Amino acid sequence: MDFTFSQDQLMFQEALTTLLASEAPADRIRARWQSDSGLDAALEQQLVELGLAGMLVPEALGGLGLDATDFIKLAETCGQFALPEPAVEQALVAAPLLADICTASGAERAESVLGELIGGGCRVAVGHILNPYINFAANADYFLLGHGGDVHLLPAAQVTLSAVKSVDPSRRLAAVSWQPSKATLLADGELGAACWRAALNRGALGNAAQLIGLADAMVKQAVAYAADRQQFGKPIGVNQAVKHLLADCAVQIEFARPPVYRAAYTVAQAATRADWAVSHAKVVAGEAAQLAARNCIQVFGAMGYTWECDLQIWAKRSWVLDREWGDPGFHKNRVHEWLVQPNALIGPEYTFGRGDQPHAH
Amino acid sequence: MNLAQNRADELFRSEVASWLEQNLSGEFAQLRHRGGPGDEHSFVEERKAWEQCMAAGGWTCIGWPEQHGGRGASIEQQVIFNEEYARAGGPGRIGHIGETLMGPTLIAYGSAEQQARYLPGIREGREFWCQGYSEPSAGSDLGNVKTRAEQAAESGEWRINGQKVWTSWATESNYCFVVARTQPGSVGHKGLGFFMVALDQPGVTVKPIEQLTGSSEFNEVFFDDAVCADSDLVGGPEQGWQVAMALLGFERGVSTLGQQMLFQNELDEVIALAKSNGSYRDVTIRQRIATAHTGLRIMRYNSMRMLAGGEDGSLSKEAMIYKLYWSSWHRNLGNLAMDVMGAQAQLLAGDGYQLSRLQGLFLYSRADTIYGGTNQIQRNLIAERALGMPREPRG
Repeated sequence: MDFTFSQDQLMFQEALTTLLASEAPADRIRARWQSDSGLDAALEQQLVELGLAGMLVPEALGGLGLDATDFIKLAETCGQFALPEPAVEQALVAAPLLADICTASGAERAESVLGELIGGGCRVAVGHILNPYINFAANADYFLLGHGGDVHLLPAAQVTLSAVKSVDPSRRLAAVSWQPSKATLLADGELGAACWRAALNRGALGNAAQLIGLADAMVKQAVAYAADRQQFGKPIGVNQAVKHLLADCAVQIEFARPPVYRAAYTVAQAATRADWAVSHAKVVAGEAAQLAARNCIQVFGAMGYTWECDLQIWAKRSWVLDREWGDPGFHKNRVHEWLVQPNALIGPEYTFGRGDQPHAH
Repeated sequence: MNLAQNRADELFRSEVASWLEQNLSGEFAQLRHRGGPGDEHSFVEERKAWEQCMAAGGWTCIGWPEQHGGRGASIEQQVIFNEEYARAGGPGRIGHIGETLMGPTLIAYGSAEQQARYLPGIREGREFWCQGYSEPSAGSDLGNVKTRAEQAAESGEWRINGQKVWTSWATESNYCFVVARTQPGSVGHKGLGFFMVALDQPGVTVKPIEQLTGSSEFNEVFFDDAVCADSDLVGGPEQGWQVAMALLGFERGVSTLGQQMLFQNELDEVIALAKSNGSYRDVTIRQRIATAHTGLRIMRYNSMRMLAGGEDGSLSKEAMIYKLYWSSWHRNLGNLAMDVMGAQAQLLAGDGYQLSRLQGLFLYSRADTIYGGTNQIQRNLIAERALGMPREPRG
């Protein structure tokens, strides 16, 4: 088992970091809260140019043909910057879902929308049954929606949105109502069910990686504040009580990283059979982010509780992403179900051996 | 030890309940369950009128001695009152800082003249108070107060200059009790005075602070040559720290039991929601609800125990552990509430940044472990004062 990321993977991450550091600082995220769309279209275009949208799409379909292990650090980086734009969901959920259907059934409608998506010509929103609200639905050109196990593709004109407000001001949620028809159907039967199963795992994986990034960014902010803020004539960070709050976060974050990277590997190998790995990742990444939000607000003291303090951007995102694509209870149950099934491949011979490979249920 | 309620207290309970039932009606009916954390700015004028209605019925400041206009109510009766008040959904008390902090402090440390001047306004629900302790550079390090008070030689009048921060209710209050440095060059706890400063004067500016909840309970208060009469100094010009600390002791008094009834109301709401939306079927939710319930009982028992002593505002060991316990408990209840709400937890209730009661509970409880002494400071106090461990070096 080798968790090392390749030079190319790290360079991709660095390019994204450079872009977001200049184009998505906290004051520009706050500016989006006042804008109509809540999105920075120019930045979205730059992300497309970087190759994000088509990264996980096979080359035969016009993408870069990379996989989730290549993408996972990028999703983490989007969390680092609390990026409001749904870049992770576009690249990791919407595009692969369309690509899976193209590959399996050669649906022309899917291929044309996918082509547009990769080129930055459209936004595609995914409505999974676990998520009652869709982020940035009002900005989407197409919707991938579920009816039973079927996958339907609808243009925006054929859905009705009712907007709701999120506690995270960077998000723009809406509930979607629509009518399935033969014309909108894209995939049904086993293919449809497999598509949704993979979409759930990819969505949860994307959130897990973002949660790690969010947690890490919050701790960095709190570390800086603890060095700066003086009480009793010295920085508050000299106190063990303050240090330990952040050390606990660092431990949780570092221990959450390998499960997240492991899940990316499993999703890359077989997204429909990655439930156990993804759920593990989502649970521990969520726990790390919840702890970081709590402890970092604590380190910032009363300042951390103000609207003015940027920490809220990261804390509120952490609270909502932890509940999206399955809340912690849902994912703990999936781990639990996997462990107690009669044919579970558990035991010492599997912990680091065959049992750690993706397997059929 | 006698944990049974006697006949007189039972009668008292029904008297309180029926008075509230009769009076939280008509124009005041809309105030039920309003004005709590996250909802402080609702019905402010109506709630001030409600304070006066309570005063007319003799239900403000019931724990004060009769000579100061109170009922001299026993601890048990005060507990009963607070419980029934919360049970009836009595609105958030605008007068509570005066009633539970300033009043008891004046009764213990104020001159007869000060008592005569200020206690009636508090008791009658006419005058409201806020607390001027924290400053930008004096949070956990409260001794680092920089606000200055200088006395004019002839008139004896004090001029106050400086800034206070995180002052709850400053926009609605008439007076602020201010800890300020009377001795130039003094440091730490020495050389401080405790002043009662009128807010309605040219030298005082109040600026609300917007919180991550989107609302503004706290304020910054700026003093630029604010005037305070020498007769409004409580204790001597160098006894401010002693008075300020005694006041904090009163903070952990009877009102904590009313707070616990609010907690009970919140827990009841969480349980009701868990039943109605089916989340109670999740075994982890059930266990956390049970844990929350047992924690609340523990708080109640311990409060009854700590209220048995400490009438001068000094803290007993039982009292020292209380802030740490309730703030952590309440923060966890906030998390539980969000998990019970499920997907709805992420939605705002309406226009603007409007939170539902349980969302407010979650976001507001983030501050519980910070204000009034952070959990870290509380642990230091418990270790150093209750256990007698060596003091952490300061400064």
